[in-house]
Parts: sequence; structure tokens; C-alpha cells
Amino acid sequence: MSAPLVATRAPLGRQLRSELRWIIRRPRTVIGLFGLCLVPILAGIGLWFAVDDGDASGGPGLAAIIGGNGLVLPVFTLFLALPLLLPLVGAIWAADGLAGESQHGTLRGLMIAPIGRMRLLAVKSFGVATMTLFAITLMAFVAVITGAILFGGTGMLTLSGTTLSFGPALARIALTILLVTVQVWGVAAIAMAISACTEHPLVVMAATMAGVIVFAVLGLFEALDWLHPYLITTYWNSLIDVMRDPLPTEALWRSSALAGCYILIGLSLAAMRLATKDN
Amino acid sequence: MTTSTSARVEPAQAGSTPVLAARTRGLRKVYGHTVAVDRVDLDVPEGAVLGMLGPNGSGKTTTIRMLLGLVRPTEGEVELLGKALPDGAAQALPHVGALVEGPGFHPFLSGRENLRRVAAFEPLLATGSIKQAVEDALERVGLAAAAHRRYRGYSLGMKQRLGLAAALLVERKMIVLDEPTNGLDPAGTREVRNVIADLHDAGTTVVVSSHLLSEIEATCTHVAVLHRGTVVAQGGLGDLLQAENSSLLVVTPEHNQALNVLRDARISARPTPEGVRVELIGTTAPAVIEALVTAGIPVHEARRQRTGLEELFARLTEAQEADEGLSAVDTIEEGA
Repeated sequence: MSAPLVATRAPLGRQLRSELRWIIRRPRTVIGLFGLCLVPILAGIGLWFAVDDGDASGGPGLAAIIGGNGLVLPVFTLFLALPLLLPLVGAIWAADGLAGESQHGTLRGLMIAPIGRMRLLAVKSFGVATMTLFAITLMAFVAVITGAILFGGTGMLTLSGTTLSFGPALARIALTILLVTVQVWGVAAIAMAISACTEHPLVVMAATMAGVIVFAVLGLFEALDWLHPYLITTYWNSLIDVMRDPLPTEALWRSSALAGCYILIGLSLAAMRLATKDN
Repeated sequence: MTTSTSARVEPAQAGSTPVLAARTRGLRKVYGHTVAVDRVDLDVPEGAVLGMLGPNGSGKTTTIRMLLGLVRPTEGEVELLGKALPDGAAQALPHVGALVEGPGFHPFLSGRENLRRVAAFEPLLATGSIKQAVEDALERVGLAAAAHRRYRGYSLGMKQRLGLAAALLVERKMIVLDEPTNGLDPAGTREVRNVIADLHDAGTTVVVSSHLLSEIEATCTHVAVLHRGTVVAQGGLGDLLQAENSSLLVVTPEHNQALNVLRDARISARPTPEGVRVELIGTTAPAVIEALVTAGIPVHEARRQRTGLEELFARLTEAQEADEGLSAVDTIEEGA
């Protein structure tokens, strides 16, 4: 111990790149992303038949809106995926991030490197956040292409009856991506907290999905309406506001603020657990 | 303990003691109602190859995990490379390589990609030198030819080698190897011994745990014997064995005459198939041989009876088993 030892960490950028590469190299990530790409395609084909038959069973006036309005498809797809599919995707990555690494014994290696426990959480959160944003953007992108091919049209007919031109329509789609992503981050942050407590990824996924479903069920009871403002699932339906013109922002702000609280709480719990965790 | 080498290092005599690469004081870890490790005072001298010896569940892995800051002790303190854990982890751990509780890697990545991922998180590796460091480590453990294959398809021995390679990615001040030869064939075991010898020559401190006595005896300069969650003996390998080495085997066809001569000289001895075995208590080997030779007894051969680690280990652990005071200390299956 001749030379004094100084505290050193590997460069953050290198750690983040390594984390992303690791997630993308997983076979299940590739298969999962491929599956997510199929959602807008299948939804588009389903709607195409509905429009063709003049049948509006997809929703009130949906067939009427989507005919000649391909840019509605990305918004429609994301709303379709938000209640179950996207929380599951976020939970899988959060589960693999901590619980999965713990199960493989690779978390020990990172700890000994040493990565630092809070840096570990930062790297893992970055990985999940980036991948969910990427997955949702990818879905929307595929939906735009599918919508253009099946339904055509360069504008977006809103629920208010106006038609947005191509540029503003794309902006609405981007807004939808952001809003939906923040909601999924809220769920994934809670999943991250669970992930820090177990070494079984399946427990994380099951617990997260059970939570989402229970929240949705609780949202159905009027007797519990005092509770509804605290449930992340409550505002998911009101995100359809992005399809109105002019844009009503109150529900969008409120939903994003609530998701922000979930992110804060989830990551704080994960940090508390990681700080004292034995590996 | 009778071995003087396990004496505590008190501040007053700190000047005369060797520099320690790692030390623990009063280490205790309780899982629920199970005491995994208790009262562990471990000294790892700098530059030593310390073998941690103990049966399965004796607390080797738990102690190592606390030594590396993976597990927080319930009580006691850990000092690694002069830094107190957990606060000094960021200073000390970059200089420590470890293979703990078996190799941990991702099955869907190749050996090389797994090492690259480990290397990305190594503080002491410059980004530009990662590739070369990974290739060097693979070469060193003999995995270069299989580096492109997925970890999923590796044999147990190959997995173990990859774990060793991860510990060797950077030039370390200290390397901790938990059961490094698990699953290795004899050739692989020999290679690990060579790696340990190389590290020792380069001045690296090595802590290696094993339940295989021969392995420890062949590679280590120091030994710590763990049993039921506590250190029952530690010190230099030679010193520990020397303390036990109190007999001389004299090969002679004249058993009875030899015994008579020795009895007259007040030296205790007992017959063996080859000759007599003399307890070297209050006497020395030259004195015994001189007594026999001057009495005209034909001495074909005289050799120190090497007690060996095995006998020492058996004696230490059996003595401990009889100790009622330790009955409260339970062992747990490690890694459970």
C-alpha cells in the first residue's frame, strides 16, 4: 500500500453504453421488440377490415375516424398497449436489471468492480427508461407506416371534428409517445423497487402486473373515488385528450405529475433497498 | 487456541507486525436466527497466499463476501487494503479481483462479450485498453479458443476459468478466489495453482478458499482454518504445521532395543511397523539419533513425521465439535 488509493469509477458513458448493449443483445429483447412491432400491424389490419365492412364495433365512430386517417393508428395502438402490454414490457426490463442479474450472480461482479450502489441504480434506470422510450417510439413508427399504407391520408381527424395537417399531427403523435412513456416509467420504477428486493425476475413481473390489474379494478368502484386520484391507472383513459383540438392539458399534466410521483417513490424505495442489500 | 500465530494484532505491537492487505475484527453475521459467522478476526498479510480452509458451511464464503463489502457485517469491522469498508469500497475494491460463489455470467453472451461487459465496469481499465485486457485474460486462463462460444454451452471448468479471467482483467493488489478449482480437471487445477504462484511472485496478495486440503497445502503460504463460522487457527503454513510437527520417525529393525534405549534416556517413543516413533517433547532430533547410534542401534533412516494439514485440520475441527461453548453457533448452507 505504498501509493495512496484513490476512489475511482469507470466512466459513466461507458457503463451506460455497456448496459444498453447488454439489454439489446438479449434474445428476449429482440423477440419482444419484434412482437411490439406486430401490435400496430395487427391492429391496423383489424381496423382495415372493420372500415371495409362499415362496421364500427372497434369503438364509437372509430371506423369513421380512421378511414383516410392513417395517422390516428399510432395513437390508437399506444392506447391499446398502455393498460397491459407496455407495463409488462417495462416490468420485464426492470426485472432483468436487478433481480435477473442477481439470479445469474452477475450483480456481485458489478458490486465488486465496484460500480457503487447508487450508480448501479442510475445505470439500470437509464437502461429501462431508454429501452421503454425506444420500444414505444418504435411501435408508433411502425403504426405510422402501417396507417399510411392501409388508410392513407396526410392529416389527423380529431375527436373534436377538426383536421390537423401533417406537421401538427406528427407533433400530437410525439406528444402521445412522451405521455405514454412517462406512464410506463412510473410503473417500471415501482417494478425496479420490487426488483431490488428479490432475485426472481418472475416475482417482479407478476407483482407489477398484479398491481396494474388491481389498480384498474379499484378504479371501477365509485365508492373508492377518494382513492382514484392516487392510482396511476386512473388517468390512462383520459390520455385520449391528445386527440382533441384545441388540446386540453389539465388531465395530461395531472397524469404526468402522478407518474412522476410514482417514479420518485419507486426509485427511492429501490435506492433504500440497494443501500443495505447483501449480495 | 494453542497456536501463538493467531495472536491478535494490538496497536501497541503494530510496528512489529507485517503490513496487512486485509483484516477483520470481531466479524459477525446473523441471518434471521442463524449465526453464519461469529468472532472472525482474520489477518491477511500483504503478499501472502492465504488459504481459507473449512468444511462446507463453515463460513468461508460469508467471510469473503464481507471482506469484499458484498455483505454488511452484523457486527465487527473490515479493513481492505487499509481502507475501512463500506466507506472505503470505492478506493480499495478497484484493486481487488474476486471470484465469489462460482462464476456469474450471462448465458446468452459469449465468453468474450461477458468479459467485455465486466471490463466496462472496471474503474482501472482505460476504455481503449479493454479489448486487449480481455484477450490477455482469456489467454491467461486458456479460454482464447472458446471465447466466441456462448457461455450457456461452457463446461463447468470453462465457466470457472472465465470467472478467474474476470478477476485477472486488471493488475490487482489482491485477488480473492472462492473455491477456484471447483469443477476443474487435474490439469485445470494445476493451471490455477500456476496462476496463483505467478500472482504470488508478482507480489499480489491472494486469498483462496477451499475445502480441499491438498490444494491449500500446495499453494498457500498462510492458512486460516474456519469451523462453524469462526476462525479456529491461522498463521503461516510452516508455523502451523511446525507446531504440530513434534515427532520423529526412526526406521530400524531393532524395535525393542531402540525402545529400551530411548526409555533409559527418558525419551517417549512407541513402536511402528517400520521402527519407532519418537515424540520430540523436551528433546531434539539430533539428541534422539545420537542416543540410538551410541547404543549401537542400526538407524536406517530418520525423518520428521509430517503431520500434514489433514491431521491438523481434523484435530482442530474435532476439538471444536466437542466445545459446548460453540453449540450456539449454527452453520448454514452457504449461498442459500
